[in-house]
Amino acid sequence: MYLFVVEFPTPSVPLRGPCLPQQKRLQKELMSLLKEPPAGVTVDVDTAHTKLTEWVVHMEGAAGTLYEGEKFQLQFKFSPKYPFDSPEVIFVGDNIPVHPHIYSNGHICLSILTEDWSPALSVQAICLSIISMLSSCKEKKRPPDNSYYVKTCSANPKKTKWWYHDDTV
Amino acid sequence: MEDKNQENIENKDINQENKDNNQDTTSPEYDPNVNQDELIMAQEKQIAEEIKAKTAMVGTLESLSSLEKEYSHDPVYSSKVVTLMPKFSNVRRTRPDGNCFLRGFIFAYLEYCIHHREELSRFKKYLEGSKEELFEMGFPKFTTEDFHDMFMEVVSDLEGSGSVERVEAVCNDAGTSDYLVVYLRLLISAHLQKNAEFFSCFIEGGRTVEEFCKQEVEPMYRECDHLHIVALTSALGVGVRVMYLDRGEGATVLSHDFPEDKDPIIHLLYRPGHYDILYKA
Repeated sequence: MYLFVVEFPTPSVPLRGPCLPQQKRLQKELMSLLKEPPAGVTVDVDTAHTKLTEWVVHMEGAAGTLYEGEKFQLQFKFSPKYPFDSPEVIFVGDNIPVHPHIYSNGHICLSILTEDWSPALSVQAICLSIISMLSSCKEKKRPPDNSYYVKTCSANPKKTKWWYHDDTV
Repeated sequence: MEDKNQENIENKDINQENKDNNQDTTSPEYDPNVNQDELIMAQEKQIAEEIKAKTAMVGTLESLSSLEKEYSHDPVYSSKVVTLMPKFSNVRRTRPDGNCFLRGFIFAYLEYCIHHREELSRFKKYLEGSKEELFEMGFPKFTTEDFHDMFMEVVSDLEGSGSVERVEAVCNDAGTSDYLVVYLRLLISAHLQKNAEFFSCFIEGGRTVEEFCKQEVEPMYRECDHLHIVALTSALGVGVRVMYLDRGEGATVLSHDFPEDKDPIIHLLYRPGHYDILYKA
């Protein structure tokens, strides 16, 4: 069991049992990802079970795309305000996809990860968006401002004010 | 849209205030070694925290004279507030966090339902049916269900032991209140997308209705504009009258009913960028 420090006052109304919305939601998401993962996606159960608020997700480049046969790892971190706050998502490990929206430090320029996050989205929805972003790529290259960005950015991509480029690239 | 411009003006006021505060100390010079994004975000966060500490999500019932006092040094607003006083007796303030319209709406509506049980039953039936409709439209089953179920729980609970205190508690409990806000956002998005052909003419920036929903409706803390209000009130079949208190010409406060053919059961006070709840005298 983990205890999270949360600013919410204890509800005076009996709501959905003693669990925080965040815990309940994450457990549900984890179960569903284990049972019915999207193609090419596997969640690392051990890391998720050790700490419910930090997951590692393995992703395989889809067949017929520039990333076919490659293996990637995504790290998800959830704040106590999840799902009202978006999770922090970066690529980790020794293979960071070379893509116009992915920086060499693993940060991803994807609007649903900050600005356009909605609580109705989920880990699964994020994985599908990232797979689709990789699959539609026509040329493997880093973002044009890669070297400047990785030198100056914060370790947490949510602390970057993103200017979203064209989604079709 | 008109509202948006006014919101921007209001936001500018806040920024101006912050700048003024900064100047009281030392004028900050640009330092290339400092991460500017982090500074901006830290400041935004601080403003949000201050707002949170100052205002409840839905506040207590106040006499309308509190508004009069607030504008005692502002001739335009105070003369307009005076014209509201014969019509309205009380106001309940909401937290200005971008969810104010939705939070004000659902509070006022649930409070109305407490006194009009037949409306509560009608709303419950509507909610029950709405879930399947969202699924059919392709909303993610898994998360949509969560928000829907929470809403149903709240409504069932109010059916049994409904009181205004209960509505106050529910709307001020962050976990519950935010769930209600999210589901209302999904209902708005569904209504806009279902009637995309009609609504597409009102969307700016060359975006499709779907893009508009993903960017301006479904994310939390996005302010509600005319389109959101038209969609929500038509989807639910609930009449809302908005009183517009602004610097516009004339001595009276203009009002608008949403949807136009419904008698309003909820009254909201609009001031540029913000909605509070009004109570009829």
